[in-house]
Amino acid sequence: MTHPFLSIRNVSKTFGSVRAVTDLSLDIAENEFFALLGASGSGKTTLLRMLAGFEDLTDGDILLEGSSIAELTPNRRPLNLMFQSYALFPHMTVTQNIAYGLEMDRLPKAETAARVSEILDVIQLGHLAKRKPDQLSGGQRQRVALARALVKRPKVLLLDEPLGALDKKLRSEMQLELKRLQHEFGITFIVVTHDQEEALVMADRIAIMKDGALLQVGTPHEIYENPGTRFAADFIGVMNFLPVSRTADGFAARDGSQMMSRGNAAPAGTPFVAAVRPERLRVGGTGDNSLTGEITALAYHGLDLLVHISTAIADAPVIARMTADEADGNAPVVGRQVTASWSAKDTHIFPE
Amino acid sequence: MSADRRPLLLMTPAMIWLFGLMVVPCALILVLAFFRRGLYGGIEYTWTLENLALVFDPLYFQIFLKSAGIAGLSAAIACVLGYAAAYAIAAMPRRHQPMLLFFAVLPFWSNYLVRTYAWIVLLNREGLIVNLARWVGYEGELPQMLYSEQAVVIGLVYNYLPFVILSCYAPLSRLNPEVNEASRDLGASAWTTFRRVTLPMTVPGIATGFVFVFVLSIGNFVTPALLGGGQFQMIGNLVYAQFLTANDWPFGAALSMVLIAVMLGLLMGQAVMADRASGGKGARDG
Repeated sequence: MTHPFLSIRNVSKTFGSVRAVTDLSLDIAENEFFALLGASGSGKTTLLRMLAGFEDLTDGDILLEGSSIAELTPNRRPLNLMFQSYALFPHMTVTQNIAYGLEMDRLPKAETAARVSEILDVIQLGHLAKRKPDQLSGGQRQRVALARALVKRPKVLLLDEPLGALDKKLRSEMQLELKRLQHEFGITFIVVTHDQEEALVMADRIAIMKDGALLQVGTPHEIYENPGTRFAADFIGVMNFLPVSRTADGFAARDGSQMMSRGNAAPAGTPFVAAVRPERLRVGGTGDNSLTGEITALAYHGLDLLVHISTAIADAPVIARMTADEADGNAPVVGRQVTASWSAKDTHIFPE
Repeated sequence: MSADRRPLLLMTPAMIWLFGLMVVPCALILVLAFFRRGLYGGIEYTWTLENLALVFDPLYFQIFLKSAGIAGLSAAIACVLGYAAAYAIAAMPRRHQPMLLFFAVLPFWSNYLVRTYAWIVLLNREGLIVNLARWVGYEGELPQMLYSEQAVVIGLVYNYLPFVILSCYAPLSRLNPEVNEASRDLGASAWTTFRRVTLPMTVPGIATGFVFVFVLSIGNFVTPALLGGGQFQMIGNLVYAQFLTANDWPFGAALSMVLIAVMLGLLMGQAVMADRASGGKGARDG
């Protein structure tokens, strides 16, 4: 008999009259790096806390390797949580913090010491073992919190906004570091984040949460390239939205021109929007669809150049991304008229 | 006026007040302790160490020890009760906490004497507690409650409990609930979490409460006089007697000096401990 490694089944949670999570079901595989992505108030942290055992389920069940853990207190669950605030014990040293969970498991002293020093090597904080949390930098504290949860070798490691308090450079380093550790330890990671870039970089699969329910579950590539809803399209990455109307044989932009899109099986409901990513627009090129407008602003990011084009077929400026090479050959100038085009396959249609 | 002089100027009135009404009298007492007692209660201005030596005479020193014992017992009981109360208040929803604290401290704003007399009403032979026991149907002999060492301890604990509640509430309310959750998450039971995480993190509050109750109790003379009923003396009563009945001011001064020295030592120890507890935060950039 096979059953999913971790199975969240029809789980609901209400706080008074507020529904934080509504009838949510999700299966997560062993050794998967899974990201729960959502804005604040989407219920993602509540779901994580239910997995850790800090919130009772109003309804539903959670099964780990086929048996329910919903009734177990947090200290009896083979899951560990890395808290957003890190929640290190301020009166204990780094070593004592990391050893705490192993002492609770009544491991022999020698084995505890060996495992603590092993993980201190992994997080490269051996030289700070005797420090107290107060004497560590934010990045160091983050690694101690990670080590403290990881050293117990839980079946599932839950991470609540693990990189939220770090500065940008450290964050991108740690994204890859977390991925490496997950691979090395072979532990299922479930990370809660509001940072879509973080989710895209780290996760094997992403679930987008909104209003206590799952909006879409898929690989980063699926979620980014084939968003299921307008909200998902808007939430992940940058997306241009162009109002369109239904015609006999497809969709038309505001100026009446034909809007070719991927599969014209239009969803029910009116009106519609066409959506296209900035990197799919080719400034000055030709394609299935095109728009003309005036360049109103240029945003230089080093890696790329974002060209803001004010056009009659959309209310907000349309953003086109040019690579450094493209921009070198054909430098855009603010105030100049420009044409941008894109393919039908990159054009998504959503109900407005 | 330059800005850096302003704090000095603002502090001056308080400094004059403290100097005139604290430092000078204390200095006088200090000096007095080294003079000889006059034949008919006056002061003979010749230097001597006899008064200080007399403090350590077994007859008087055991009163010191007795007072320290009662103060220590009162402080310990107050810490247990006060910590429990503070813990309960800190566990309540945050919006109710100021009101609960207000109620806990409320008795403190009424007169000390009135509150102590109230215990006489409660504890005496025909008092509320005895009547309550009779009403419940207890027919047996009841121990003498008023005018005993126990009554003094009860009075001291009752009077100084609000100090402990406040000093324990402060660190308890500042605890990050996620730290407790982290302990549970790592496999600790609720009791282990309390013993290894909550309690060590709030020890400075307990220590502050203990020292306060101890210092206030060891020098107290009203409660032993009213609830102890002259059955025994605490050091405060002995000092009181030297100045007002025995007319031996130099000896009273010597007793006071030793008492003040003990209190100062404890308060300084407490201050150092509190500083160390919060000290790490200043040196974060290590």
